Parts: sequence; structure tokens; C-alpha cells
Amino acid sequence: MSLFKNVRYTGLAVWGILFAIAITYAAPEAFAAAGDAKKGEAIYQKRCWWCHGKKGGADGPAAPFLIPPPRDFTLGMYKYKTSDPKAEIPRDEDLFREITNGMPGTGMPAWNDILKDQDRWDVVAYIKSLTDLFGKTPNPAQIDVSKKIKSSADSIAKGKQAFQTAKCYECHGQLGKGDLTKKLKEDSGIRVWPRNLTKPWTFRGGYTAEDIYARVSNGIPNTPMPSFAADATSSGKLSVEDRWHVVNYVMSLAEPTSQVKDGENVVKGLKRDAMPKDENDAAWGEAQSTAFFMVPQIVQKDRFFTPANDLVKVKAFYNENEIALLLEWDDRTKSIPGDPTAELIAWDTIAPDMIAVQTPVVLPSGSEKPYFGHGDGSHTVSMMAWNSGTTAAPAVGSMMLYTGTGKRTPGDAAAAGFTSSGSYKDGTWKVMMKRKLVTANKDKETQIEAGRFIPIAFANWDGSNGEGGSKHTMTSWNWLFLQPPTGKEVYLVPLLVLILLAGGQLLAAKFLEKNRK
Amino acid sequence: MHFLKPIIGVLVAYLLIKIGVPFLGSLSHPGTWPVVPTAVMKMYLFFIIAGAFVASTFSEEGYNGLIGPIVDLYGNPAKAKLRLGAVAAVSLLGTWVAYQYVKPSFDAPVELRSVHPAPPSSANMWGKSFELQTLKNPFREDKANFAKNVEEGGIVYYKNCFYCHGDKQDGKGHFYSAFNPIPANFVDVGTIAMLTESFVFWRVGTGGPGLPSEGAPWATAMPVWHTMLSEEEVWKAVMFIYEQSGVQPRVTATVAEKK
Repeated sequence: MSLFKNVRYTGLAVWGILFAIAITYAAPEAFAAAGDAKKGEAIYQKRCWWCHGKKGGADGPAAPFLIPPPRDFTLGMYKYKTSDPKAEIPRDEDLFREITNGMPGTGMPAWNDILKDQDRWDVVAYIKSLTDLFGKTPNPAQIDVSKKIKSSADSIAKGKQAFQTAKCYECHGQLGKGDLTKKLKEDSGIRVWPRNLTKPWTFRGGYTAEDIYARVSNGIPNTPMPSFAADATSSGKLSVEDRWHVVNYVMSLAEPTSQVKDGENVVKGLKRDAMPKDENDAAWGEAQSTAFFMVPQIVQKDRFFTPANDLVKVKAFYNENEIALLLEWDDRTKSIPGDPTAELIAWDTIAPDMIAVQTPVVLPSGSEKPYFGHGDGSHTVSMMAWNSGTTAAPAVGSMMLYTGTGKRTPGDAAAAGFTSSGSYKDGTWKVMMKRKLVTANKDKETQIEAGRFIPIAFANWDGSNGEGGSKHTMTSWNWLFLQPPTGKEVYLVPLLVLILLAGGQLLAAKFLEKNRK
Repeated sequence: MHFLKPIIGVLVAYLLIKIGVPFLGSLSHPGTWPVVPTAVMKMYLFFIIAGAFVASTFSEEGYNGLIGPIVDLYGNPAKAKLRLGAVAAVSLLGTWVAYQYVKPSFDAPVELRSVHPAPPSSANMWGKSFELQTLKNPFREDKANFAKNVEEGGIVYYKNCFYCHGDKQDGKGHFYSAFNPIPANFVDVGTIAMLTESFVFWRVGTGGPGLPSEGAPWATAMPVWHTMLSEEEVWKAVMFIYEQSGVQPRVTATVAEKK
């Protein structure tokens, strides 16, 4: 009897566990319609209103500082739809996904770690109730992704062709870096930059093939990104097959060196006797690249909240006398004041693009460094800067000294042997800066040594994005390390260890064998 | 058996630090895998190995149990082949370790920094001096307007702080990524939950440059808020971060007694 009972309970437990697993996996679908707007409102009024506004009107206290702005829920205009192109409204799952995963590069974080699935569905139910757009319309069907084409060289080539036919390059650039040829704004009038397709991890609506297919097919409502679905009312249209080819082409554009490696913060300087002659020298292909995030200057007045560039990649070579740095950054605009095309695309008044590199004048012996924002009274920093110039004045490099934020005096570029050159192509600036390792003015310029970790920081201005003065993007301190050439000790030390260890052990064995009882 | 015990012990301890610590970290911050820095790992391993050796050689029996098999391996002519293998293995391992030390690398130096250094007894902000030992949040006692003051603090937070410290108070606002050290994570038990409100008030008011040198004032991007916000705004923002992260400020004996 008891045995029977045990078997029965074990069976029940097994079924219970299987049921629980099934529920867990089916959960998003099963609960899609089951959000509780009342509970969602409580979460919204604690977590969301600060940006989206107490009534959903995108007028929370943080809203003026955010580009892209927070979604206005009273309008019911959603950008990232995976519903069938014929449907007017997004799927509940689209709202749920954006809350769950957040949107990279915006103020919207991924809420999946602190809000449970049901909480997020409750919020979906509440924000849907803030507009009458949804009415009684049932949740639309998902876009058909069953015709997915596996990526191949052939498909990518066809996608590249379709990218040209549909004129995707007009906004996204020939190499996909978002170097647009016309000024873009949302229907509401606010600025919008096209996505840089070489950084798929910045796609707001995800970057799986299905995500990108939905984006190409549905477009991004309220923005210049049109729907390319053949049954949509847009000028450029692509067949289902071509859209999948474009997806494969876009995915092939991903540039791994533009992704910051976790914990990597060193500019890797390699020794090379012949210095590259300029920023486009093929020699740079031998160098090692390190990517650094840049964020807007939000530390001091005037603070800056709406950047366009997010990353700088740095390479370095040095020889007996000189160091050369290559700074590469994706910038959608070549900002040359006076240039008609540049003036057309720019937001606000156009200013030149700039990049600057900062190092302490005196190399720190311990961990103490100058304040990362231009040094301080007792620690001077040396800066090398490059300015893209205007139609009236050519690009120019310069050196200067800082003894605290904004406290600038000119440096002696000639004495430091400082030269610079820069060029812009297909959405990327490349700037090379070169100077002597050791200079005559020890109190004005950093005396650069190989084999030492030298603090280094970067700043960048996008002149077509209203940047200038204190409004720019930046990093805090990172490192520059010029790797000394590999000496003989790299082989000699391990060899010596090998001989000592083997010899010592053999001797010990001999001794032990002799004295064995 | 004596021979294996310390080795297994060291291995388990190593795995706990190598995998266990990041695993615990990943539970409190999903999507991350916070590894223990190599330098710290080396320090731990040194003490673990030394401890295991001391523990297992504490008794005569233990000492013989550990040393005996080694003496036998090297001294027993019957085990010549095995001995040769051991000699080769130990020598090659040593060579590899030596190579790891001398090979060229770009590993940045580890810089230790005191995240919550001892506060000074007083601090100058808004042109006056604050006694940090006895300082209290003036809005904390105003029970009638508590919700209103917290909300006003939230507005200050969202206009100024959220860009780095984040919507979720986790120190991962959308502009946190370029800063080293990274912004403080308020939901972590090691930050505001173990600090008094007066300490937090001082940290906000004087920012990165207000830190003593052990806190690396040259590196942190925390602005000097008393130049940009009013005293009231800072107190309210402090109250908001506690409320929103669901933690209570630490109350010191002096402050508690004065109540």
C-alpha cells in the first residue's frame, strides 16, 4: 500500500515538474493578454514616469536631456514592430521586448533583472491603456519569418545589390556607417541619426536576423526609415527574398574591432623602425587596435547629454625617437564649416570635428595622477589636438598645456616635433598624431618611455552635433604602453629555470636513492 | 591519501574563487561575470597553498604522509620511469610559469583604491562648514512631506544623476561605460546601505575631487555637486536614492543617541 502510494506521489511530482517547465517556457505567450493594468500603473509610477511622464506624455523630468526622447505613450506610436506589415499597431510582445531588453544607446535600460515577467506584462497592459490606438483590436499576427534565407556569400552579394537598388546608402552610407547624405528628422521634428550598421549591438530593436527582417519590412514608424515590404506604400520596395538578402548583408557588416573588449584599457604600442607616413599608410594594418567607449562630458558645466559618437579606436607605433598614434572613429558627418553638404546635414551651427589626446606631463611614480579633467594645480597635463578645419582654413594640429579644467596655455608643437594629419572616408575619421618621445621642454610635454604604463585620455567633438567647448565626448584615464622589443631574457629565463629544476631534481633523486634505507 | 587531501583542498578553493565568486556576482547582477582579478587570485592562492601545507604537515603522521610518497618516488630505483616523468613534468611546469612572468604583455597595472575612505570630521560646501559626525538629513524628520520630498529628490536625480547611476540605481546609466572607476551601484549592499546619510551627502557635495588620496580623486568622474545643486536638492536626492533602492541609511551611535 505504502509502496503504491510512493509511486503515485512520485508520478505526481514528475508531472508537476514537467507542467511547471512547460508553463515557464510558454509563459510569455500565455500571459500576453493577462497583464493587470492596475498593478502595471503602480510599477510605472515608481519606475517609468521620470522619463515617460506621469500620464505617459514623454514629459518626465529627464525627458529634455534624452535624444532619442522617451516614447510618448499617449500617441501610441511605437517604432519597433514585429507585427505583420499590414497591421497598424505593434504586438504586445514588442512592448514587452523593449521593456525586457531595453534599448542600447538610449536611456531605456533592460528591466528583466528587477521586474518579473508578470510585472512587465502588467506594465504593457498599463501603457496600452494610455492611448486609444489599441482599442479593441486584437493582438496582431507576427510578421512571417518562415521564408528566412540562410546567410551565404551568394546571399550577401545579392543583399549588397538590393542595398544599392533600394538606396539604403543614402542614409546608412556605402559601408553602412550611417554617414548620411541628407538631414534627417523624426515626424515630430526632432533630430535622428541613421543607425551605424557595423555596430549591430547598438540596434534598438535587437540584431537577430528576424529582428532586422522585421525592421527592413516594417521600417521605423515616425522616422525617415521606410517600410520596404512590397505591399507597403513606400517608394523603395523589396521582395521577401531581397529583404532576407539585405538582412544577411547587414549582418555581414558587423565590425568586431568596434566592440569594446571588457576590461581592456591599454593602447598597445608596438616598436617599428619606419614610422607610418600618414593615417592611411598600410603599415597601420600591422598595429593592434584598442577600442574605448566615449561618453558625453557630464562632469562639469556646461554639461552635455546628447552625443552622436560613442567610440574611438587607437593604435600606436614607436621607434627610437618618435611615437605615432592612429585615432579612428566612426562619425556620421564630416563637419567642415562652409561646406554646403556639411551645412545641410548639420544640426545647429556647424563647427569643425576635433579629437584630443591627454597625458600627464610628469609620469606618475605611484598611482597618483593628474585630475582626469585637464589636470589640476599641482599636476599639468599635455594635450595633442587635431581640428578638421573649415573651407577657409585647413585642418590643423596643435599642442597645449592644461593646469586644471579650462586652464590652457599653448604648447610648443615645433619643439616636440609634433605633426598630424587626418582624412575622412565613408563615415570614418582617421587621424595620425606623431611627436618625439623625448622633448627639450621637460615641464611642458610628456617624456614618453617604452616599458612604462602612461595614463592617457581622449576627447572628441562632432561639430555637426552641436559640439564645441565643454560639449564633447570623452574617456577618463586609460593607459598607453609602448612594449619594449622582446629581449633575450624571454628565452633565457625560462631556459635557466628548466635547467635548474631538472638538474636539482635529478641531484635530489641521486641523493635520496643513495641514502635509501 | 594524505598526499591527495591538500591538493584537492587547494583545487576546491581555487574553483570557488575562479567560478564561485563570479557566479555569486552574476546572481546579484544578471548578465555579468565579475571575475576575481589575477593579482588578487595569486595572493589568495599563495595563502591557500601555504595554509594547506601547514595544515597537512602539522602532525608527524601528516608530514610523513605528505613527504613520504615524494621521497619514495625520487629515491626508489624501482620507480625510475615514473621519476623521469615527474622530473620532466615539474621542470616543464616551472619553465611555463617562468615564461608567463617574462613574456611581453599589455596587462595594465592593478590599482587599488579605497571606495569608501574615512570621511573628514568636517567639509566645506556652499561656503560653510558641515560637521559630518553629527550632520543629519533635515528632511528625514519631516514625516508629513516625506513622499513629496522624495519625489523632489527623484526629479533632481533624473535631471542630474541617472545618466551614470542608472534608472535601476545599479551604476549602469547609459553614460557609465567610459568611466573608470565605474559609478556607484546603490542597490549593492556594499554602498549606500552601509553608509550614513551624512557620508553620502559629503560624497555627493564634494564629488571625486573631494576624496582623500586613497580614494583616487584624480580618477573618479563624480562631479562636485555643491557647485551645481543646492544643499536642499542634494539632501532630497540622497533621500530618493535610499527610497528607490529600497535600503535604509546606516545610523551611527552618535546620531542614534541624539534622537
